[in-house]
Formats: sequence, C-alpha cells, structure tokens
Amino acid sequence: MLRWIVWRDLMLAWRRRADMLSTVFFFVLVVSLFPLGIGPETQLLRTIAPGVVWVAALLASMLSLGRLFANDYQDGTLEQLLLTPQPLFLVVLGKTLAHWIVAELPLVLIAPLVGVQFDLRSETLWILFVSLLVGTPVLSLIGSVGAALTLGLRGGGVLISLLVLPLYIPALIFGAGAVEASVMGTSPSAHLSLLGAFAIVSLLFSPWATAAALRISLE
Amino acid sequence: MNWPDLSMGGYGFYVWGSYLVSLIAIVWEVVSLRQRKKALTQQQQSSKSVSAPVLRGSINETTS
Amino acid sequence: MNIYKYASPASFYPVAGKLIPWFAIPAALLFATGFFIGFFIAPTDFQQGDAYRIIFIHVPAAWMGMLLYMLMAFYAGIGWAFNARLSSMMASSIAITGAMFTAISLITGALWGKPTWGTWWVWDARMTSTLILLFLYIGFISLQAAIDDPRRADRAGAVLALVGVINVPIIYFSVQWWNTLHQGATIRLLQKPTIRGSMLAALLIMLAACWLYSVAAVLIRLRCIILEREQNASRFAEVGV
Repeated sequence: MLRWIVWRDLMLAWRRRADMLSTVFFFVLVVSLFPLGIGPETQLLRTIAPGVVWVAALLASMLSLGRLFANDYQDGTLEQLLLTPQPLFLVVLGKTLAHWIVAELPLVLIAPLVGVQFDLRSETLWILFVSLLVGTPVLSLIGSVGAALTLGLRGGGVLISLLVLPLYIPALIFGAGAVEASVMGTSPSAHLSLLGAFAIVSLLFSPWATAAALRISLE
Repeated sequence: MNWPDLSMGGYGFYVWGSYLVSLIAIVWEVVSLRQRKKALTQQQQSSKSVSAPVLRGSINETTS
Repeated sequence: MNIYKYASPASFYPVAGKLIPWFAIPAALLFATGFFIGFFIAPTDFQQGDAYRIIFIHVPAAWMGMLLYMLMAFYAGIGWAFNARLSSMMASSIAITGAMFTAISLITGALWGKPTWGTWWVWDARMTSTLILLFLYIGFISLQAAIDDPRRADRAGAVLALVGVINVPIIYFSVQWWNTLHQGATIRLLQKPTIRGSMLAALLIMLAACWLYSVAAVLIRLRCIILEREQNASRFAEVGV
C-alpha cells in the first residue's frame, strides 16, 4: 500500500514537472538574493551561508506544502483514501515520502552547487548536503501537519507558514549549526546527531498527528 | 517604607514605560471585551422576538 | 452537587458571570499591593539601580505566557478527546490573554535590556524562546480565525496546540544550545539581581495578581464566545438547517 501511494504521487507529480522545478528555482533565487542585499565580501558570505541556505530551504518547503493534499482534496480522492481499510498513518507516510522526493530532494541535491556561491570549502559543502538530507524529511513531516490542518482554507500558504515555521526552528538551529561548525573548523557531529534525533521523533509522531488533522478537516 | 526615586536613577523612561505599556495592554483587553459583550447582548435583544435561547443570568432573562 | 451539569456552555454561562468579580477585584488589589511593595519597600539594587524594578511586571508576564499556553493546550486537548465544547471554548478564550502576556513580557524585556545592556533586543535563550512562544500563539489564533465551522476550529486548534506543547521543550532546548554556542565573550545576560525578601514578595504578589486577572479576563471572553456560538446555533435552528 505504501509503495502504491508513493508511486502514484510520484507519477502525478511527474505530470506536473513544472511545479517541481519552480520550487528549485525559488530556492536558488532566494539564496542568490542575500549576497545582492548584503555585499560580496567573501568572509561575510562564508559566515552567513549556513543560515541563508537553510532558511531558503525552509521557505521553498513552505511553498510546496500546499500541494501535498490540495489536489487530492479537490478531486475527492482524499476522502476515498480516508475510507480505505488501510491505516491512514500509512497513507500519510506515503504521501509525505513522495512529497519529500519531489519537493525536497532536488533542493538537497542542488544545495552544494548553491553553496559554491558562498565560497565554502568542499568539506563544508558535504556537511551542507548531509544536514539538508537529514533535515528536509523533518520539513516534510512537520509541514504535513500544517498542510492537513489548513486543508481548503482561505489564507493558503501564509497560514501554513505561520503554523509551521516556529516548529521548524529546532531543525534550523541544528542543521545550520552543523554547517556553521564545519565553516569554523569544529566537528558538526553533535549537531547532526541532534538533527537526526529530531528527524526520528518527527517520523514517529508527525504522520499520526497529520492523520488526525486530516480526519478533522474532512468530516 | 521609603519613597522611591521617581526618576528611577535616570531609568525612568524604561521603568515607567514598561508599566505604562502593561497597563495599556490590560485596559485594551478589558475595554475590547466589554465592547464585544455589549454588541452581543444588543444583538440578542434585537433578535429576542425570534426565540433565541435564554441564558440564565444574561440580559434576556425575564424570570426572577 | 453534580459538576457535570456545568459542562454545558449554557449552564456555565451564569456561573462564569458570578465568578468574575471574585477574581477581578482581588486581582486589582494584589496589583496595587505588589506595586506598593515593589516600589516603596524593596530597596534599590546594587548592580542595576532602579531599572531592575521592571522585573515585577516582566517576570510574571513571562511566566503567565508559558502557563497559559500549557493550560490552553490542556483545555483544547480535553475538548477534543471528550468532545466537550465548553473546554474548547476555554482554550480559544485563553489564547488571546496568553498572547497578550507574552507580548508584554517581550516589550518589557526590551525596555529592561536597553538601560542594562545597551541594546533593545538581546538574542538570549529566554527572550528568543518567548518570541517563538508568541509565534505559536499567533499560529493558534490565526488557524481558529481562518476556520468557519466552530467544531472544526476547536479540533484543529487542539491538534496544533498539542503539537506545539510537545515542541516547546524541544524548541527551548535548541534555543539554549544555539545561544551557548554563539555566546562568545559576552557575560551571561539577563542576570536577575540577587533577590531579597521584599523583592521576592513583590514578585510573587504580582504573579498572583496576573493569575487572578487572567482568570477574570478569560471568563469574560468565554461568556462572549458562548453567546456568539449559541446565537449562531439558534439562528440555524430557526431556519431549519
């Protein structure tokens, strides 16, 4: 069942490839804005790079969250999925996984390229990649709770952001902190461990909360 | 008991400012709640003829 | 006495009305007492001068912000789990008062920071966590405001509040971590002055005053919410929806 959901969502997303690309372009654009706003001084850019890349990743995630349930909700598929004998937990997990693959994984893959703009050394670029790899599932998982709660409401993306961005803060602190540790030359292992722990906790609790939120939004 | 130095050792703006802000916030909350209540009871009065449920203790109650 | 009789909004309405003065008047008295002790009896601090007197409103406000969030999540959770409307209404009522106290604590914190450490805003663990708490309140209030159906708003708010409450310790820990990493050469900020007897008394009395005030404000708002919902309900009943 899980595989079927993931596969279905991936197929649907593939038919709307433009959405996937626009998220990536947004990410790259936002990251590029910061040097333009702050100045090209390399030392400064190296210092702000971890925070900037991570915040841009958060914002790009926010934009894509609306699509997680909205399309299925509009054509009635979501209600049908709620009625299946399969546990809703699995449905949610599948959709979240598909969302991560489509919306977050491209960001993770392109981040090192974007990090080059900030004159980061290769070891730091690697840590940037790893931190986003571990941290973006958290964004999808916690974001899915927000997407489920705001299903069908006016206020759209801004409302989801208000709900979800405060909850992202620990991931931001640990993720950006790991990259920053690498920039400073210290070990990022503590940060990455905490980020990983947060990811595991999110994995255990978020789908359950999202399932509850879906039931509330759809009854 | 000792009379406080009203200028708060030069920090008067900050100390009195803090209490003023807090007072304004509390007064705002109370006043806006009162207005909300008044608007609601007026609304209830005007629709009284359309058999709104009478909450005991509310302004609509006619029994003693 | 069967207390479950009061679980219905309609029957709790008059009870709330009778309770309000019992909290509002003592609150006012305690505010006056706390203020008197804080300004007329507590001595000037050795390090911070008279500026420290801001803590008599800053600290109680910060504590109320936290306590009310927990309480809000509790009532929202109960309202969701037991399908108790009144409980959910309590949660919605608490939200605004809690947000207000959190905002007060941020503003007074800034006003305390300027004379003592030279800047209006300091990114220390507690102030930052308080700011995030305000965001959590705003999220809850916005979500409920965006949903028209009251029962859906109640339940959605409950999910959000419970997720928030679980996250609060995680957020606090991560902000502490972030802060100690970036502290650098600065000395430990927002250090409270050594609390002497009368200062502690003033602090606790002000806390009690804020607590009583909160109860009164929440009950007043609760009555408004009850009226609003019952009015809508009766209007639907007449039309035959």
